Amino acid sequence: MSETVSTHSAAALAVVRRDFLLMLSYRFRFVTQALSAFFGLTLFYYISRLVDVGGSISTDDYYAFAVTGLMTLQVITATLVTPSLTLRQELVAGTFERFAVSPFGAAAGIISMMLFPFVYTLAIVVTMLAFAGIVFGLALQWSTAALSIPIGGLAALAFAPFGILIIAGVLLAKQASVGTNWVIAGVSQIGGLYFPVTLLPGWIQWASEVQPFTPAVDLMRHVLLGLPMPEPAWLAVLKLVFFAAILLPVSVWALNRSIKISTRRGTMIEY
Amino acid sequence: MTNYASSLEFRPGDSNRHPSDMPAVPPGSIPGGTGSGLRVRNVTKRWDEHAVLDDLALEIPPGTSAWVGGRNGVGKTTLLRIVAGLIAADHGEVSLDGLSPQRDRRRYQRRLGFLSAGDRGLYARLTVRHNLQLWARLALLSTSECETAVADSIEAFGLSELADGRADRLSLGQRQRVRLALAFLHSPRLVLLDEPANSLDDHGLSLIAATVTELHRRGGMTIWCSPNRPELEQIGRGYVLNEGRLSEDR
Repeated sequence: MSETVSTHSAAALAVVRRDFLLMLSYRFRFVTQALSAFFGLTLFYYISRLVDVGGSISTDDYYAFAVTGLMTLQVITATLVTPSLTLRQELVAGTFERFAVSPFGAAAGIISMMLFPFVYTLAIVVTMLAFAGIVFGLALQWSTAALSIPIGGLAALAFAPFGILIIAGVLLAKQASVGTNWVIAGVSQIGGLYFPVTLLPGWIQWASEVQPFTPAVDLMRHVLLGLPMPEPAWLAVLKLVFFAAILLPVSVWALNRSIKISTRRGTMIEY
Repeated sequence: MTNYASSLEFRPGDSNRHPSDMPAVPPGSIPGGTGSGLRVRNVTKRWDEHAVLDDLALEIPPGTSAWVGGRNGVGKTTLLRIVAGLIAADHGEVSLDGLSPQRDRRRYQRRLGFLSAGDRGLYARLTVRHNLQLWARLALLSTSECETAVADSIEAFGLSELADGRADRLSLGQRQRVRLALAFLHSPRLVLLDEPANSLDDHGLSLIAATVTELHRRGGMTIWCSPNRPELEQIGRGYVLNEGRLSEDR
């Protein structure tokens, strides 16, 4: 049993190592992606200077709000978009076939492919925070900032099922970009990434209650920047636990089903 | 090449062992080498309404290799993909030493090596060694087994001078040698070779021949698919696939 766990863990780590080596082979990938993020941070800094809603919300508050939204969008992209695009590349390059005929297996390989993009994005997010703090004076709440690590891990577990479900769809439909673009656009609208969900029309606000992105970004804002929570923190944590506990097994089941269906159809390694 | 599958598959007290996994395997031979080999029974596969494989049967005894030929598009690759577990047959069954590619997936795949047609399946921007190391891990070899397997493969397929170069900088023949090394890396019991001679020079062909000979010595098997029968003494029986069925090539 322990040897099985150890060889499977080593296989998953080998996939992470593969992705790390591939990233290194593109010498300027991290720099260019960090620069793109910095442009976003700069853009929102100047947009935030225009925000004047009165009351207790200052322009700096809105900037802090938007920075956390931008950071969360990076994580959402890494969890939902990157793995499905990676799978498409694997199918086209014929390398996915190696996973499918390996003892490690297609499903375990696909889930392992989600690990490096998440870790890599954490590095981008930390760089974004440092940039926003140093250049634009974003103030971190150091007393609770460390809590962002377990919350980030929990959020990743709550986000991952959506990525796995998208991948299950990619295996069947052989398309990635259309669905993922819709998901990202939708999450940006209803997730409270750039504006509070209370600004949405009443008939659509329910959507912020049935996904993990809103509670995750709210918690991050609270522990990193000290922004107030629209609901008790424990309730937001409970929502993330609920999404992870319910949707992870469901998504893994769906992935295995899509592998079985595509094996029966003979389309698993087609692209 | 070293027998790695043994330490993965055969452990004292493993109550899930398959009958063909019984111990007392002579040193240097493949576990299950006394097993029943490959059996393909009554396999049918239809693409739309066309039966590309129609009630097909094939048996490969341990320690032998077979050639499967036939004109382009006749279904050779479909047959290999069904045996590899990449495609499920509509009807019929495939077993390797009694193991099913669907029901016993992991143990089945540990016994299987697969070379697809073409030149794909390598990470272009990784070195040859990194490609081999990744595959060794996906084959669930332990750390020490991985190191030995990679070193043995590099030697067996003459990749020493290429090992630390990127895969996208190899010639087609060199790529094919790397792909062959991946197929044989984890000491599989059955190796499926779809047009393995593509782009290979005489030296490359002699490396395959030597590796297949060694595989036979340890009780392993290969299926070699190509339009024309290869001139290799290691290939025993030959079959021609036509209208969904195999007939013996005489």
